[in-house]
Amino acid sequence: MNPAIALPSPRRFTDLLSSGLRSRGKPKGNAMEQPRSDEDKQLVSRTQGGEAGAFDELVVKYTPRLYGLVYNMTSNHEDTNDLLQDVFSKAYKSIGGFRGKSSFYTWIHSIAVNMTLNFLKKRGRRFHLSLDDVDASIQNDKEFLELTATSSPVREADLSELQRRLNEAMMKLSDEHRAVVTMFHIQGMPHAEISKILRVSEGTVRSRLFYANRQLQNYLEEFRKNPVS
Amino acid sequence: MNEFDENDIGKLLRLKRHEQPPPGYFENFLHEFHRRQRDELLSLPLWRIFLQRAQDFVFRLNVPGLASYPAAVTAVLVCAAVISLKVHQGPGNVNVAAQNQAPVVATGIQDAGWSLSSPVSTRDLGPKLLRNVSYSSHTHRAATPPRYVLDSTPVSYEAALRF
Repeated sequence: MNPAIALPSPRRFTDLLSSGLRSRGKPKGNAMEQPRSDEDKQLVSRTQGGEAGAFDELVVKYTPRLYGLVYNMTSNHEDTNDLLQDVFSKAYKSIGGFRGKSSFYTWIHSIAVNMTLNFLKKRGRRFHLSLDDVDASIQNDKEFLELTATSSPVREADLSELQRRLNEAMMKLSDEHRAVVTMFHIQGMPHAEISKILRVSEGTVRSRLFYANRQLQNYLEEFRKNPVS
Repeated sequence: MNEFDENDIGKLLRLKRHEQPPPGYFENFLHEFHRRQRDELLSLPLWRIFLQRAQDFVFRLNVPGLASYPAAVTAVLVCAAVISLKVHQGPGNVNVAAQNQAPVVATGIQDAGWSLSSPVSTRDLGPKLLRNVSYSSHTHRAATPPRYVLDSTPVSYEAALRF
């Protein structure tokens, strides 16, 4: 059983993409859309039964979500791509041992967070930002419009400057704090879900979040005072 | 507004959701995943591929869940084997084994001369020992094969006294 051996037919592959990309990236409200657990269970069960195409569906379904998670922890597109490939490869190799004690969503996120944290430890301080482009849809984002209306720094800075400042501030956080901030603020996960993924208590999650917010406030203070540098 | 409050921080960070990879990235991701898996598979030695297949098979059968039963049966069999061995190694058997042992007599037979008819005990133990043996060959021990007496009867080469 190997997805490389059993490639889906082109027609089915198109179907996969269209179904998978419906749940892709574009933020809706505060929380990102939660995947249906029973659908995942079926796909996992089919994968465990040797159906490689079922795992392909899981890959397509979770790629955008996990990309966001890993990208916002690394601030580097190339590293994110490599890590994401490794995450799915590891998940595929380990899925036989997945017994469904947690949801597949939690399980795959745990793998992604742990592998990213390990990678960041190895990478250390030697890194450069390799940022993705800001999607044009931001101009229609309700929160962005609100921020530009009320916050003078956001109004005065151009988008790329704002992006750079935000990413630099994020990278000043410790890896663990950045993981919590990414999952809570950017991915819109509840505290309980984050605590399951990180295998820490909800209190620890809240405490890390509080501390990270305070740090971000300090780091962005310079940006607030001097939005155009 | 003096500084960004927690709410503002959240709103600012949520803007990062709009950072998106190049167009077509997600569409090509699965192809790239398949390509890497194929490359990885081709770089593996054959035995590892078989090992992986075997692991997949074991996982699919849920053998780890059933592993306790064969383990228990194996443990019982091992215990039974150990107990039966101990029972068979009683003191009587040990004496019989000693009685059947061939006497240690050093002769001049060389290693090359070994055959099924010449037992291991006739091995050449060196010239020093050979000299002793030839000296003692003038005594009655050379002519009389050693006798062993079971249990409490002492071993003796002397002829029994008769009155």
